[in-house]
Amino acid sequence: MSAAVGAAGAAGARLRWPRTLGSRLFLILLAGLAVAHALSFSVLFLERYMAAKAVMLDTLERDIATSVAILDRLPAKERPEWIAPLDRGTYGYVLGPGTPGTPQLSERANEIAAKIRAAIGGRYTVTVETIPGAQEHLQAHLRLGDGSALTVDIKPAMRPLTRWLPYVLVIQLVLLVLCSWFAVRLAIRPLVRLAQAADTLDLSKDAPRLQESGPAEVAYAATAFNAMRDRITHYLQERVQILAAISHDLQTPITRMKLRAEVADESPERGKLLQDLTEIERLVREGITYAKSAHGDAEKPARVDLASFLESLVFDYQDTGNPVTLRNGAAVTLQTRTHALRRILTNLIDNALKFGAAAEVEAEADAQALTIRVLDRGPGIPEEHLEAVMQPFFRLEQSRNRGTGGTGLGLAIAQQLAQAIGATLALSNRAGGGLQAQLRIPLH
Amino acid sequence: MDHVDHILIVDDDREIRELVADYLRKNGLRVDVAADGRQMRAFLAANTVDLVVLDLMMPGDDGLTLTRELRAGKHRAVPILMLTARADETDRVIGLEMGADDYLTKPFAARELLARIKAVLRRTRMLPPNLQVSEAGQRLKFGKWRLDTTERHLLAPDDTVVALSGAEYRLLRVFVDHPQRVLNRDQLLSLTQGRESDIFDRSIDLLVSRLRQRLDDDAREPKYIKTIRSEGYVFSMAVEIAEARP
Repeated sequence: MSAAVGAAGAAGARLRWPRTLGSRLFLILLAGLAVAHALSFSVLFLERYMAAKAVMLDTLERDIATSVAILDRLPAKERPEWIAPLDRGTYGYVLGPGTPGTPQLSERANEIAAKIRAAIGGRYTVTVETIPGAQEHLQAHLRLGDGSALTVDIKPAMRPLTRWLPYVLVIQLVLLVLCSWFAVRLAIRPLVRLAQAADTLDLSKDAPRLQESGPAEVAYAATAFNAMRDRITHYLQERVQILAAISHDLQTPITRMKLRAEVADESPERGKLLQDLTEIERLVREGITYAKSAHGDAEKPARVDLASFLESLVFDYQDTGNPVTLRNGAAVTLQTRTHALRRILTNLIDNALKFGAAAEVEAEADAQALTIRVLDRGPGIPEEHLEAVMQPFFRLEQSRNRGTGGTGLGLAIAQQLAQAIGATLALSNRAGGGLQAQLRIPLH
Repeated sequence: MDHVDHILIVDDDREIRELVADYLRKNGLRVDVAADGRQMRAFLAANTVDLVVLDLMMPGDDGLTLTRELRAGKHRAVPILMLTARADETDRVIGLEMGADDYLTKPFAARELLARIKAVLRRTRMLPPNLQVSEAGQRLKFGKWRLDTTERHLLAPDDTVVALSGAEYRLLRVFVDHPQRVLNRDQLLSLTQGRESDIFDRSIDLLVSRLRQRLDDDAREPKYIKTIRSEGYVFSMAVEIAEARP
């Protein structure tokens, strides 16, 4: 029971506070309960001790008077037979002068001596002495009526604790530990659940909501969390709607401008105008795609044959004169959102073509995951920017014009879509130069 | 005298309408315009056209509603080219499922529109009678395969998606639209060149061999695409319309 208290005490003020709230609460609860328990046990024990002592002393007083009177009246040769029946366990009688001792008495011994004197002091001269030894041992010496010596031998002791008491204590301790653990778990679990829910927040409509049941506070937190989730969903939808509205409103004037430029006479200005319009158009389109990729498309997953998927993708590039090669495919079928996967890979390949002039695609599958790599021999990306390039509108060269820089959304879209299909996208520089984009899709 | 293709453009934006009409007229087409569903209905009540260019996003009846209406009425066979505002897969899918034959995303180039119009006209004219009504949005079944014409991929018997490249799809589409007909390489080439963006079109022979691979077709003893020596190829499997997309 006192183990926790002892441990806490031993480690002193510099004790390292456990890291989890669970163990802290557990420790506080357990320590508090254990101390309270120990206190009440001690009080009980003390009370029992005092009561027992009072009873013992009263008994001693009455009993000793009777016993000494009996022994005094008996003929000297009959006395030894009576020694045994008169023995009371904590005290007994010895015929003879007993063991010599010291007259110094402890507090308890004094109380006992007083009782003895009160019982028989009126008729006999009693000297009480302490016999030295490990255990407290008293002897009261007196002389009976016929002059023979009698010694009252007293070994004051509490009645020993019952044998089952330690078991009860252990059971109580176990009960304490269990109850504390249960209470802590009850308090911590909703918190953990809330954290997990926030961590794995999926804003698609069919994702399970946090259960709004349980104790009042927990239910309140869950309701608040769900409401927050709804608000986020709402903001995201609003963002997409705003982007869609802007882009839609832009598309009509862009279309007009494009058509007008096309019917206009051939001139360098016309070419530049068309080029600019194409840029604006692309920016608008990528902007919408990025906004949409942020909260997962409604696309349903389908089972797809990876080999034909990658081949058709690469052939589409080859057929339009782009140097994209498929090094090796993996003969697997996987369940995924094909439009999203296609978009991720085209963005990665477009990126490779833009900076590396040529792209290689390779795939391999093991029991856990499918890995698709898009490789180029371009300039790569400085190590410190490998993460940052996946941020929207991040550009390595701030001065670079749109002609080669793209919209700055390609990798960001790829990364968000990868997340949406449960995959991870990582960029790294290749030995010998160039960039490797690795998409890892877990196979369930 | 040569037949001049007659196009109806339905778009709520006056300037786009006129610019497109001008461009198409310059390129030898006969063009009429309508600003909304009401004008379209009025025009079609008295005229027949070869193709309708329909804007998806319009006030009042939108493109989807009008497509459905056209497909239900006496003009059910007229090819429809949908103009969509968003380069969104779902919009494309919805448009094609509703019965449009092709789509073009705004902003588009007039040249691209012309090329698409010609491609759609060419394709629909050569359709066998059983597929005359636009079958877009449906699945075509042949042998063990189903072809999803909206998503442009094959479906294996166990519903696994077998993807097709753009060129492979177009060639397969030509074969499937003309089953049991011998097509020579020139015909195949002209029928597959739907979009002018494909500058480096593969040779037909290479595409056929790729397509056979996709279809699990043994090149030595093909069941789907047979080689007719010194003539061309023939798609020898019967094609039927499978169930509509779920």
